Amino acid sequence: MGTNLLEALNVRVVGSGEKILVLAHGFGTDQSAWQRILPFFTQNYSIILYDLVCAGSVNPDHFDFERYTSLHAYVDDLLNILDALRVDRCSYVGHSVSAMVGLLASIRRPELFSKLILIGASPRFLNDKDYHGGFERADIENVFVAMEANYEAWVNGFAPLAVGADVPAAVREFSRTLFNMRPDITLFVSRTVFNSDLRGILGLVKVPCCIIQTSKDVSVPASVAEYLKTHLGGGSTVELLRTEGHLPHLSAPALLAPVLRRALSR
Amino acid sequence: MPTPVSLARQCLTDEAARALDDAVAVARRRSHTQTTSLHLVSALLALPSSILRDACARARNSPCSSRLQFRALELCVGVSLDRLPSSKTLDEPPISNSLMAAIKRSQANQRRHPDNFHLQQIHCNQQPASVLKVEPKHFILSILDDPIVSRVFGDAGFRSCDIKLAIIHPPVMQASKFSRTRCPPIFLCNLTGLDPGRPGLSFPFSGPQDGEENCRRIGEALVKRNGKGKNLLLLGACAGDALNRFIECVNTDGGGILPSEIAGLSVISIENEIIEFVSGGNDREKMGFKFEELRQKLEQCSGPGMVLSVGELRALVDENVSSDALSYLVSKLTGLLEGFRDKLWLMGAAAIYETYSKILGQFPAIERDWDLHLLPITSSKSPIDCFGSKSSLMGSFVPFGGFFSTPSDLKYPLRNVNQSITRCHLCTAKYEQEVAALLKMGSTVSVADQYSENLPSWLQMAQLDKGKGLDAAKTKNDGTTLNTRILGLQKKWNDICQRLHHAQPFSKFDIPQDRSQASIAEGFQYVADRKESSSSSCSRDSSLNENPCANLSLGVLVDLQNVFPKKHSIPITVASEAENVNYQSKLLKEASKSQQKEKDSPWFTHFTLPHMSLPADHTSSSSVTSVTTDLGLGILYASSSQETNTPKLCDRGEHFQQFSGFNTFEFGVGESTSRQILQSSCSNPSSGGHFDSRDYKSIRKALIEKVGWQEDAICSISQAITRCKAGYGRRRGSTARGDIWLSFIGPDKVGKKRIASTLAEIIFGSQENLVSVDLSFHGGVRPSNSVFECQEFNDYDVKFRGKTIVDYIAMELSKKPHSVVFLENVEKADCLAQTSLSQAVRTGKFPDSHGREISINNMIFVTTSTIAMGNIKFQPQKEPIKLSEENILRAKSWQMRMLTEPVAECASLSSEMNVKISRKVTSSASFENKRKLDGITKSAEEEFSYEAKKRAHKVLGSSLDLNLPVEETEDNTNSGSCDSDSISENSTWLENFIEQVDEKVLFKSFDFDALCEKIGRKISVQVQRAFGSEILLEIDDEVMMQITAASWLCTRSRAMEDWIESVLGRGCSEARQKYHSNAQYVVKLVSCKGLLVDERAPGICLPSRINL
Repeated sequence: MGTNLLEALNVRVVGSGEKILVLAHGFGTDQSAWQRILPFFTQNYSIILYDLVCAGSVNPDHFDFERYTSLHAYVDDLLNILDALRVDRCSYVGHSVSAMVGLLASIRRPELFSKLILIGASPRFLNDKDYHGGFERADIENVFVAMEANYEAWVNGFAPLAVGADVPAAVREFSRTLFNMRPDITLFVSRTVFNSDLRGILGLVKVPCCIIQTSKDVSVPASVAEYLKTHLGGGSTVELLRTEGHLPHLSAPALLAPVLRRALSR
Repeated sequence: MPTPVSLARQCLTDEAARALDDAVAVARRRSHTQTTSLHLVSALLALPSSILRDACARARNSPCSSRLQFRALELCVGVSLDRLPSSKTLDEPPISNSLMAAIKRSQANQRRHPDNFHLQQIHCNQQPASVLKVEPKHFILSILDDPIVSRVFGDAGFRSCDIKLAIIHPPVMQASKFSRTRCPPIFLCNLTGLDPGRPGLSFPFSGPQDGEENCRRIGEALVKRNGKGKNLLLLGACAGDALNRFIECVNTDGGGILPSEIAGLSVISIENEIIEFVSGGNDREKMGFKFEELRQKLEQCSGPGMVLSVGELRALVDENVSSDALSYLVSKLTGLLEGFRDKLWLMGAAAIYETYSKILGQFPAIERDWDLHLLPITSSKSPIDCFGSKSSLMGSFVPFGGFFSTPSDLKYPLRNVNQSITRCHLCTAKYEQEVAALLKMGSTVSVADQYSENLPSWLQMAQLDKGKGLDAAKTKNDGTTLNTRILGLQKKWNDICQRLHHAQPFSKFDIPQDRSQASIAEGFQYVADRKESSSSSCSRDSSLNENPCANLSLGVLVDLQNVFPKKHSIPITVASEAENVNYQSKLLKEASKSQQKEKDSPWFTHFTLPHMSLPADHTSSSSVTSVTTDLGLGILYASSSQETNTPKLCDRGEHFQQFSGFNTFEFGVGESTSRQILQSSCSNPSSGGHFDSRDYKSIRKALIEKVGWQEDAICSISQAITRCKAGYGRRRGSTARGDIWLSFIGPDKVGKKRIASTLAEIIFGSQENLVSVDLSFHGGVRPSNSVFECQEFNDYDVKFRGKTIVDYIAMELSKKPHSVVFLENVEKADCLAQTSLSQAVRTGKFPDSHGREISINNMIFVTTSTIAMGNIKFQPQKEPIKLSEENILRAKSWQMRMLTEPVAECASLSSEMNVKISRKVTSSASFENKRKLDGITKSAEEEFSYEAKKRAHKVLGSSLDLNLPVEETEDNTNSGSCDSDSISENSTWLENFIEQVDEKVLFKSFDFDALCEKIGRKISVQVQRAFGSEILLEIDDEVMMQITAASWLCTRSRAMEDWIESVLGRGCSEARQKYHSNAQYVVKLVSCKGLLVDERAPGICLPSRINL
């Protein structure tokens, strides 16, 4: 990738503000997911948008199955992008997997981030002794089997579930981006995500975080937000969003944007 | 949603489509509901000689005979197909989403296809997914990606990756078909150190084995420590596992995974010793001995050194670990580290951060003393582990891997399916390349032309046109500068960019067909626009007074028209100068705008040919007299304002018909004036530069007829409109703007709305051309069941679901390019809407939430707000209001009921009126004063007879009295300000915004009292007619409110009278018959709470009958 990283990951900078805001999309979407959030911020921020390498909008050739075996490779990408753009400080909004990427990146380069905003973040999706991540290992394996067997059916079932709220447009949009991903990449990335466990390292995060949690999220139980809040090392707040679903930026942008704005200004 | 077969076939070449047909046939035979990849595989295998079968034969690697293995494959496919659910036989089982996705993928792959590599290496990402015909080869390749399919092949002992390779590398004998590549395609470049010629093409996971990710990271961290400590503390839930794994790896395979700098490293774990030490014996001697041993080992150690693993730190922070032992251990380790700085690496693991922080609490210096680097370990195992057979999914993509990533060709062709907005810089780059090429070699063959053949026919037409235009330009300007060519290139890239990069999803491609019904005149217009500035005015909304066009004097138009039919190239040459100036700056905006343009360009091509003659006609007529010019413009206008529902306009006769139809408005604007208006709306200072007072008069007349009570406001509105139409409006740069912005400030919701719709009617031809949006809708609570709901759109919810208000407006704007846009409650606009509106008023383009801009040229924007701000103040209300607009707006639309009751104590009838209004006091904020007391007893029914009120309120003479407070000090301004807190943050914006509009129009409040009085009189007459003069009709206040509201709302002047005569009159006579009431009874008209009006009287929002 190297020099072409910016191009390969479709990095865009929009807006005209002095402050820099990174919007990082989550699993199954691409940067277009932020489209409805963008207008709220373009005046006051320069917004960096990029696609995760697993996104459907990125040439699948770039997805190196050897490299992207853990979230660290995604962190590398993020940091490389920020370095290439000569960003020395920014606020970061990450959704789902990108929230975790942001956490890891802030551990590695705490000076780079002034604030992390985590939407639908979970340090660990699987349940553990005294941790409720929302998924049992067996469930996950079943999901993987389902994905492998019939990606389409899985997408069609998963998209409405993930979006949660009754917003057909958001479901359509999410299905679209989900379908854009090559099935094997989707599968691979979800394995990566489900295998990762950030619980142990939350204490290393020293950047203040804001955790945005919707009232009902199929992927992230409400307890997880509390867990994050208590374990994150940088002093964090939890914002409850009065909507449902894992993708509030798709399903309820008008609700999310003010919360983001508030969180960023703190 | 499965895709219809026909749609899928369009994406395929004939050969591939035949295969698909076979698959559909298989699905049909098996009565399956959908055609899936499996069906296709089955169909392909059934053919005696298909690519797939052939590839399978070559990819076969099992010892058993090929016949047997094929048999097994067919069996496996059959079994899998049997598992699919079947239903009643469909004629054409539609294509399943997964198969469709495979087709889409293959399109993407084909774009990166080696066959086209040499020709199209830089353009292969530009063909829209929907138009690329997929060859069978690619089709099969992506079907093999389907997990189901690869599983089936796996069951039969084939590896789908092998099959893929076989497909990609045809046997030498068949080279003619697929190996047009000039050099052997370089696959697998992503893979480390791969040499294309290497036999057996290793698969991606030949490198590090399972779960190596963590080991690799640990190894890397050991080597490069960029400022961080050299000794590692692995942190994370799986840190312990990772550490053990690392030790295992290093000790077993000699550190093959370690970076070369530290190859040969050895690892010693003292975890067990430490655990024993701290938990059990606290045996310092033993521990000391261990450390001595280590020291010796280190001294002897050759090579890079040694890693000392202390294992999981949790053991150290256990409660029963004595701090004494711990500090002994720490000091020992510290000593060891100091002694062998270069040779020793310490490594530990902690599952949770808390463990580490505890240790840190006890030994604050440990991080520095031990020179620790915290390495987060986040994944328990590599995702690769989870794949049962690596080949099935992973290997299958090798053939496409990194085709373009050869070092010499650093340009990554980015996949571009839906990510539309960012793409234009690519085109810019390509364009620059082409220009460079042009300058260098003078080559006239442009890459863009090469793939026009892949475009669908309508695009091809455009492409050809373009090409032709370019060629013509070239021949014409032969010997002149390259400028024209470059401009041509610019234009072409522009178009390509629009068309390809912003291709809409497949299903939307039928839109242009609808548009093709748009009028010829519009097509012509479009052409004219293109001449001026190809980049800004292509949108459909670009209408006659789109600036560039408007600046053309008629004479120029005539000239161009004369030339136009002959040569396509003219537009380009004429445009050259303007374009040159504008191009660069506009290119950036291109991305956002191109959605519209993309829609438009197709029909442009439709029009070019058939339209040649018509403009010529216009030309002749327009040059004769000004009257015909008027007519011509009228035609242009009329036809362009016709929406797509007009039948295809082929002959001029129809134009005229429409034009004449266009003039038959009912509101008394004469034909000539309306034409005049039209003309003025089409013309501009340079061509029609006269300011005609008739415009003003006719607009004013029409408005006053509808909304007689807002005379002052109407005056300023009509002045503003005529002024702007005459080109004296706001300016953008040096050109006049076509859009007009009005801001209606003050009360009278209905009056504002009616003025807006009347404007739509007189200026744009129909009330349909009104886009009406209430910006407060999203936040505010709307009164339910109100009379106003009958009038307003009940489908607000439906319209807005899942859309932002801005997108809704944008959508409506693009649907109705010539319209009045009526935005209510602009003060309550959300942040998005504010931004869009500000931009629109500033630039003349309305951006939606995706940044796409819609030209609002030729539109009239009307924003309303009820609050006063800044220097705009309402005149203080001199007279107290009795019925406030607020209350009227709240009036509910209940059914009505007539009943009789014994006469109350104050039965003395008035001399001339036998109607009185009884009132239930509601605690409304706007009722102050004495009413307040009563307001507490909310439901207490009060009755004020007409007479009683008369005493209280002498002013009102003979009319109805609504027994309202004697004085109501609060005027509307204040009542509006109650929610000013919530909107205070908006007020700055609002002030700014309103400063920018063309005209601020102040509205007076509607005189409800007078209306009420009038209604009361009418009813009185009716009651007298029905019951005679002795009977008193008591009208419930709510009913009165309802009637007043309805009357305010209704547009037909006689509607109220009619309703009173027919409905109320009938009710009265029925009541008389039923109750045979005599003078002892009062007749009451009350509302039936909770019962909504089910049937409305014609023309008015009131019930069509009165219950008894």
